[in-house]
Amino acid sequence: MSGEADSYVLGAIALLTLCSLLTRAGYFLFGDHLPLTDPVRRALRYAPVAALTAIIVPDLLPWEAGASAIFDVKMLAAFVAVLIYWRTRSTIGLMVGGMCAYWAIAWLL
Amino acid sequence: MVSYGLSEGMAVLMSVLVYAGSAQLTALPLMMAGAPLWLIFAAGFVVNIRFIIFGAALQPYFRKYSWLKRLGLGYWSSDLVFVFFMTRYGDARRKGTRGQLWYYLGVIVPGWFAWQFFSLLGIYTGAFVPPEWSLEFAATLALMGVAIPLVKAMPMAVSVLVTAVVAWLGQSLPLRLGLAVAIVAGVAAGVLAEMHKSRRAP
Repeated sequence: MSGEADSYVLGAIALLTLCSLLTRAGYFLFGDHLPLTDPVRRALRYAPVAALTAIIVPDLLPWEAGASAIFDVKMLAAFVAVLIYWRTRSTIGLMVGGMCAYWAIAWLL
Repeated sequence: MVSYGLSEGMAVLMSVLVYAGSAQLTALPLMMAGAPLWLIFAAGFVVNIRFIIFGAALQPYFRKYSWLKRLGLGYWSSDLVFVFFMTRYGDARRKGTRGQLWYYLGVIVPGWFAWQFFSLLGIYTGAFVPPEWSLEFAATLALMGVAIPLVKAMPMAVSVLVTAVVAWLGQSLPLRLGLAVAIVAGVAAGVLAEMHKSRRAP
């Protein structure tokens, strides 16, 4: 890599590190000056599951149906994984079962 | 990261300093395209907005510690610690106990090492794993494994449903803004469902 490209990458890394610091540590440091009301705190209980769902859904059902076979496989495998969790209440079962289902379905199609 | 044309050294530096998978995955295509640095900063910030929400919820438990300690506790926090911590202590009446601090550290310290370990493993061995194994699907399944056990009551299920629909519709938005919009919609739906439920309850 040339010197200029290096400094570009370093600049991006520095700014992204600043992003991490501001968003994560910001409230830890200055929270006492930015008080939250109780209803807001109650509402925040829904945030983590919402964040996880919002990350998972585009993974399972991407817009570009050009690779339609792939999204079918992921969706079906995820469905199998949820069924396994529902029967066994095991997170390991969900992951291993989901992966095996994915490979099996991909092999069958 | 290496597959995006980053040198291995830069990829390691990024993983250790930034320590934010989704922000890195958002920034890398922009960096490859040579996007201006301010845009990379803005995109990384938006993807990380959820940490502001997490920080606001976690802050009351750690307000008594020194400035430097709070900096570290915040900087090395993660999605996972928020989900675990709030599940366990969300309704705790006493906030700021030693047990809570140790529980928090017990999640973030191993979490940091595990994340860095697999990140480095990926940087140095990623080229040798055949893409048809689709190991990235394991990451999606892991997130499902965290989320599904938390859906216990009706308002939470409503929240998940609304989030899912908005997240699906919002994927075409730039800078992964769809993620932020979906979270806001999901939280609003959860609150509304909770209000509706408590109004109908005798």
